[in-house]
Amino acid sequence: MTSPSDTPESDEPGANGGSIAGRYYGRGIPYLSINDYPGKLIAVEGTDGVGRSIQIQLLREWLEVRGYGVIETGWTRSQLMQPTIELAKSSNTLNKLTFVLLYATDFADRLEKEIIPALKAGFIVLSDRYIFTALARAGVRGVDRQWLRNLYGFAIAPHMVFYLNVDVKTLIGRVLESRGMDYWESGMDLKHGDDIYDSFRTYQNRLLKEYQSMADEFHFRVLDARRPVDRIQDELRKQVGAFLEPVEKAPEPVLTGNKV
Amino acid sequence: MTFSLLHATDFADRLLYKIIPPLKAGMIVLADRYAYTAFARDATRGVDRQWVRELYSFAVRPDLALYFRVPIDVSVERLMARRVKLKFYEAGMDLGWSTNPVESFRMFQGKVLDEYDHLVDEFGMEVVDARSSITTQQRTVRALIAQHVQLRRGDAPAGEITHDESV
Repeated sequence: MTSPSDTPESDEPGANGGSIAGRYYGRGIPYLSINDYPGKLIAVEGTDGVGRSIQIQLLREWLEVRGYGVIETGWTRSQLMQPTIELAKSSNTLNKLTFVLLYATDFADRLEKEIIPALKAGFIVLSDRYIFTALARAGVRGVDRQWLRNLYGFAIAPHMVFYLNVDVKTLIGRVLESRGMDYWESGMDLKHGDDIYDSFRTYQNRLLKEYQSMADEFHFRVLDARRPVDRIQDELRKQVGAFLEPVEKAPEPVLTGNKV
Repeated sequence: MTFSLLHATDFADRLLYKIIPPLKAGMIVLADRYAYTAFARDATRGVDRQWVRELYSFAVRPDLALYFRVPIDVSVERLMARRVKLKFYEAGMDLGWSTNPVESFRMFQGKVLDEYDHLVDEFGMEVVDARSSITTQQRTVRALIAQHVQLRRGDAPAGEITHDESV
């Protein structure tokens, strides 16, 4: 995958993804050319329970009211793989490699069957989590980082990646108030111990560090997720709006013919 | 892509549960197909060659890789002689090259065989002429294996695990 140092700065206002936004990170899928597709891919990343879903729901409503076609896609939601992943999780036979590969298969299915067709048709694709979650989870489990980046070389670099940043203490409060701690989100498979609370704290701490370490490499737009939902949403809309309709921010120059 | 990744997942599972443990125990593992199948098949389906190789970089490199080479006509003839229906993916029907399964098989597997020819050089595979009789082939195989394995007569046979992959 391309690191920021090899990527020339984007000339598109608000496009933090650099010049590779909308293109494959690595070797891509040779039989699927995605050049010049009109759609936009916007990823919302962040750890478990950080509030991604509500933000996406609100953003979707806002975009649709403004006349955009929007589809959502989310991790492990592919028709092909969801039952298999659930089955494998419950069977205790998953190891870190098969775990990674099952997620990658799910992602490949959604990419080919949902994301790419939608981009071709000019939709805005809101992705609840993207490959960064997979990279973070696998990184914590000790899977080779370069191998992971090659593996996900078939992924499309989003036009925007929002990262909802939170500290473990706030996260613990939120998760306990809502649905409680779950086996995988607590990294119990890493066998840090029998105590789910301790395991959750250790695991999520390491996960947050992994996400942080990717912030520059993948042009994360970091949002402070400790703030109220509305404040975060305002910030999201501001940035998404500026990216989608930069003309509204600056009146269109008549003579220069500047394309934005 | 999903076809490629699902096979890789299956392979990773078998590698970690069925291949590496017996290797650690000093046993001989016979693998009926290996990563090379994926290299040939996935490339024919249009997946990036280098990407598939990197994907499988977690695989153990075999001490000996045998490639049973056969012309496509012989392959088709043998298959048609013993069964009527070709499997959908085996015939590459998913690629939509032909609605006739036999024709599709011929086109798809023909390209797969071309890929194998490149793999032979790239990975130093030993080629066995699969047109010859079973006895001749088996003698060739035994001669090749004898170069790698010290077979001791009269000893209790070394543990052996046969490992199959469905296509």
